[in-house]
Amino acid sequence: MEPADKSLAKAPRSLPGKVFDLLSGFGLATITLILLGLLTLFATLEQVEHGLYPTINKYFSTDWKSIIILPDFEFLRINDKLVPIPVPGGYWLCAILLVNLILGGMIRIRKGWQHYGNLISHFGIIFLLVGAGVTFHYSERGNMAINEGESSNVAVDYLEYVVEVAEIKAGKPDKIHVIRGKDIANLEGEKRRKFRFPELPFDLELTAYMNDCVPVSSTERAPDQNQYIADGYFLMEKPKLAKAEPAESYTAGCYARILPHGGAKSAPFILAGASFQPFTYRVGERVFTVDMHKRLWVMPFTVKLDEFTAAFHPGTTMASKFVSKVTRSENGGDAKATIQMNEPMRYEGLTFFQASYGPIGAGPGQKMFSIFEIVKNPADQWPKYSLIIVAIGMAVTFLIKLGSFIVGGSHKKSHV
Amino acid sequence: MKYRAASLAACVVIFSGCGEKKETTVTETRSLTTKDGAIKLFATSDERFRLIKPSPVKADKPDGWQALPASQFRLLNYRFGETGMGEVWVSLSQGTVLDNANRWLKQFGKPSLDQAGLAKLSSFALAGSTGVRVTAEGDYAGGMGAAEKPGFALAGVIASVKGQIITVKMVGPKAEVEEAQPVLETFMKSVRITE
Repeated sequence: MEPADKSLAKAPRSLPGKVFDLLSGFGLATITLILLGLLTLFATLEQVEHGLYPTINKYFSTDWKSIIILPDFEFLRINDKLVPIPVPGGYWLCAILLVNLILGGMIRIRKGWQHYGNLISHFGIIFLLVGAGVTFHYSERGNMAINEGESSNVAVDYLEYVVEVAEIKAGKPDKIHVIRGKDIANLEGEKRRKFRFPELPFDLELTAYMNDCVPVSSTERAPDQNQYIADGYFLMEKPKLAKAEPAESYTAGCYARILPHGGAKSAPFILAGASFQPFTYRVGERVFTVDMHKRLWVMPFTVKLDEFTAAFHPGTTMASKFVSKVTRSENGGDAKATIQMNEPMRYEGLTFFQASYGPIGAGPGQKMFSIFEIVKNPADQWPKYSLIIVAIGMAVTFLIKLGSFIVGGSHKKSHV
Repeated sequence: MKYRAASLAACVVIFSGCGEKKETTVTETRSLTTKDGAIKLFATSDERFRLIKPSPVKADKPDGWQALPASQFRLLNYRFGETGMGEVWVSLSQGTVLDNANRWLKQFGKPSLDQAGLAKLSSFALAGSTGVRVTAEGDYAGGMGAAEKPGFALAGVIASVKGQIITVKMVGPKAEVEEAQPVLETFMKSVRITE
């Protein structure tokens, strides 16, 4: 990443030129890589106390406020007071590294056949970073639990809570409208948002979102933070435990109001992940439900669990092998597949991993269930491709150097 | 030079963000799935937020106590006393008898016990097993963000029954807790596990 033409470095630089030099410089790359190493260390220490998901959220938040973060773990506390060490957020550091690699490792780098290897390797790393970005923004993960002999066509997202509004016809939901988590998760405190449903006779207003809370009866406990009481209940944030709960067990909640077209707002009501029934609303003869739960991710096919078997290391409860034999049904056709540890089923852009099973300690003859982790990641194979590209780049560099050495050596010898 | 300016501009565009919206039109829908089960329309808040199923613990409600709906952590739930601040509840809990005793004591700012200290507590028969009586008085901090309540007292029993920890806990103003002791003892004798 040295300047192509050294005479340019001596000439007075314009401001864009200086910015370009800064962003494409080897110094920035070094500082960024050192900071990423430090962040990895800090995040590893912090997740022990605060849990993996909150830590990842903090260190890799895309929020502008997270450009600078303050690590918080035991070694940084003196007399229970945190020693503030501001560091840049991981997402933004990766973005800077990407810019640096594009500008410095592809544009500014010396060109010529001797440098093809470096160019290829840099491209491989850029591809890896872009792949990480695609995974971060566009991948989806969920789990599907199926009892032996039963079928499922839906996965449940691990983390995302959604609000669903449906009209009930003949006792069941007719068309289910989905408000995605990204549109509600930032409605903390007084923030509110109106959600329009062009096909329905009302809209919905959501506010006071909490990512881990439970509805509590006001007859059992008075609101601790002046929360609104809706029909005898209020939403209370769950207390933080000494050992952080996994994010998968969070139960989100918020307050909602119905905004009838041409009518007055309804009284606020609670929507909670920790609820057993939806809220019901009637407009004339039409009946609607409003509910909050983890996102149901509809699969393009149905999976039936034909048989599940598990084997364990002798004398332990550590699984040595668990195998799910399934039938995949789609458009009237069936296909058999086997899913086991390290051998996922890949189909239509979805990957089914064997994740878990139950009931733990099931006796002989007891019906079991299998849990699959389902991942849809457009960049699923990109890390593999990027490693291949980097390896090719390094091999090219090595071969060019080797070639130069041999040719140079022969040349010297010919002059002896 | 042109390229450099163009690449800088492209980077700025790529990494720029968007503002927050006050209104959104919902366009996403989904079809019915195998997970969409039967729903209860017009459910009350109690039906929506409480798992209505038979309690695995039964007991005879004393006269004068007010039964409240059960909750996730309170299988049997009562109010007592003139102030309405006295509470009694029965729970199936996690951990050990010692863990639970120390959790209760901590809520009153009392020091933790060790096994020897636990062994010195008086015993009481509860649900076919023998538990330990835990008592304390002072400022009660029930946790979960609730404000401290001064002049409170605790009386309860913690027992291990068939691998589960069962607790009967009475908390309220000190005078009301002291007065309710005979009733509490009768109540605790009636506690039984049904499953």
